[in-house]
Amino acid sequence: MAEKTAQKAQRTVGEETYEPGVPDGPQNWRHKLRDRDEMLRYLETGERYWFSDEWYGSEKRRTPA
Amino acid sequence: MAEMEERSVDGATNEMIEKATQDGVLTVFDRAENMRPCPIGAEGSCCKLCSMGPCRLPAPRRREETPEEKDNRRGVCGATIETIAARNFVRMVAAGTSAHSDHARTVVEAFIQAAKGEGSDFGILDEQKLLQVALDFGIEIAGRTSREIALELGEEALKEFGKPDGTLKFLERAPLRRQQVWEEQNSKPRAIDREVVECLHRTVMGVDLDYKHLFQQASRTALADGWGGSMLATELQDIMLGTPVPTTGKVNLGVLRHDAVNIVVHGHEPLLPEMLVVASQDKELRAAAAANGATGGINLSGICCSANEVLMRHGVPLAGNMLQQELAVVSGAVEAMVVDVQCIMQSLPKVADCYHTEVMTVSHKAKLPGAIHIEMDDAAPLAAAKEIVRRAIDNYPNRAQSKVNIPDHSVDLVAGFSHETIGYLLGGLFRASYKPLNENIINGRIRGVAGVVGCTNARVKHEDIHTQLVRELVKNDVLVIQTGCAAMACAKIGLMTPEAAHLHAGPGLAEVCETVGIPPVLHMGSCVDNSRILMAATAMVKEGGLGDDLSDLPVAGAAPEWMAEKAIAIGQYFVASGVYTVFGVTWPTVGSPEVTDWLMDEISESYGGKWAFEPDPIKMAKLMIDHIDEKRKALGLDEARERVLFDMEMRRDLDAV
Repeated sequence: MAEKTAQKAQRTVGEETYEPGVPDGPQNWRHKLRDRDEMLRYLETGERYWFSDEWYGSEKRRTPA
Repeated sequence: MAEMEERSVDGATNEMIEKATQDGVLTVFDRAENMRPCPIGAEGSCCKLCSMGPCRLPAPRRREETPEEKDNRRGVCGATIETIAARNFVRMVAAGTSAHSDHARTVVEAFIQAAKGEGSDFGILDEQKLLQVALDFGIEIAGRTSREIALELGEEALKEFGKPDGTLKFLERAPLRRQQVWEEQNSKPRAIDREVVECLHRTVMGVDLDYKHLFQQASRTALADGWGGSMLATELQDIMLGTPVPTTGKVNLGVLRHDAVNIVVHGHEPLLPEMLVVASQDKELRAAAAANGATGGINLSGICCSANEVLMRHGVPLAGNMLQQELAVVSGAVEAMVVDVQCIMQSLPKVADCYHTEVMTVSHKAKLPGAIHIEMDDAAPLAAAKEIVRRAIDNYPNRAQSKVNIPDHSVDLVAGFSHETIGYLLGGLFRASYKPLNENIINGRIRGVAGVVGCTNARVKHEDIHTQLVRELVKNDVLVIQTGCAAMACAKIGLMTPEAAHLHAGPGLAEVCETVGIPPVLHMGSCVDNSRILMAATAMVKEGGLGDDLSDLPVAGAAPEWMAEKAIAIGQYFVASGVYTVFGVTWPTVGSPEVTDWLMDEISESYGGKWAFEPDPIKMAKLMIDHIDEKRKALGLDEARERVLFDMEMRRDLDAV
């Protein structure tokens, strides 16, 4: 058992945990927002600090500071 | 040779300086060595605002000034050294603000043309951001097409420069507490042009003679840059040209190619560079290049912030930063050096005379004796871009192989870290977030965040302060965000690849970077894109857990090798936004200890942020880290809080209570 764990550790340490090589072009995640509905929904989630009424951060605490 | 190596930490730069000497070409490095800076002007003790002067008012050297001497240190008009030093500083802020904001005006005008669709080469590439900015401006979006929304947005954006009432729209993006500070200090900018004009008026002979009152206007003007002109430029460029997303690229003069027509774009506005990207991929033009012997086709690269713009959106390689513009020509391999506005050296055509390079100007705002002027239509620059590429192709056979020496130096990097992309990388599309960043600052893995930005300066060893400072920061678990020429300096030593995390970063920062897959130093774009840093910092505040204002955050800023007036405007808007900001090289108010003390201490009572000056990079890092630690302490984060996993015994103890 101990040997198995050691082997596993040997395999993991220093091993690349990412796909080697260089991407062909920009990783354009914004293309995932396909239509206006998705874009507006993204405002309430991804840009919630400015656009969501339901966001509770430093400025909209349930209990004010 | 040994002496030359000391001019830069970058091998490519040193090689090209040596080549320039061999070729009999003078560069900025020679001029800086041959002409010492004026000591009176350097400390802000010279006033040339009227023809009773210029008045030179240096402080006594190597001894303390007596109160009588200080009181008598006045210009012919009676202005005190405090007023003179402050006026010089305020005029730098006005000039810097005008540069970023006039850039923005060009973008807004092109944006309106794109919205109208009349003869424009541009369109709406990021509709999501269009909706976002339109809502910021209170524009109705329901049931309207993108073009209709964009047209109204463009017209509203144009009003920001000269509207008679109200204050700038983007101020409302700032944390609420910060908006309150600006309200209390009467520092909310009204219209961008108005603030710049008022700066110039107040600093005319015999107007505003209270230095603290002058700095109130300096802050208001600088805020009109950061939260006005610069932010407008960034946001409307993103809508028209695309919001930056992660992209790979290369940096340094080694990106020039032996087998291709090399076109180098230099300056700041991204409109023409965007169309040069299009033109350089044109099949007909590529065939013409091949027919002229350029088997590698057309190779576009960039210098300064034009380069950062097309890197961020297209991965176009960076040939180098501002101090390398002449050296790109010295390589003997550049067919066309295309320049628009800001940071262009007038010596370029003289350097180009020794080689075959054609220097071309394109902006109606900026001409350069000795250069070929190909004026572009800001809204439709493709025609000018094609003409530039054609000329460069025609020039390729004139390249003298005996004069070509492309330094074998180029390094990979990852760029494209807009504040939206940072949120996406930390939380994904469904819940883009700054929470992981804040949590890792709270738990101590990340000590804080530093913005290291600005120019390169021939008065100090090229890139030495940038690279030493940033290495020291990341080693101490400080995440670094960068823009401008500063970003290129650090990219060249490999700090902008994900691998840099385990090579250079402290253990906590490395752990976070490796988990997310980001470099420890993030490239956020050009100098107008410092507005992205404001937005990222605002997201950190609004996420919660790190205070209620930008001035509460464990963050600091620096421009270690600054040289341009624009840097002073940027620094002042960060200070007025609550950020501790350190500059290197020299400080423009040292002629007045009272003004300097006020900027580096008392101003924080009004804005929460303040300036510091420190030329030594390690001491600069220490100042920034000490400030970050001070803010951590104020937030109660001075000790890392490791998560405690409760065992049954501990649970029983809890129950007993």
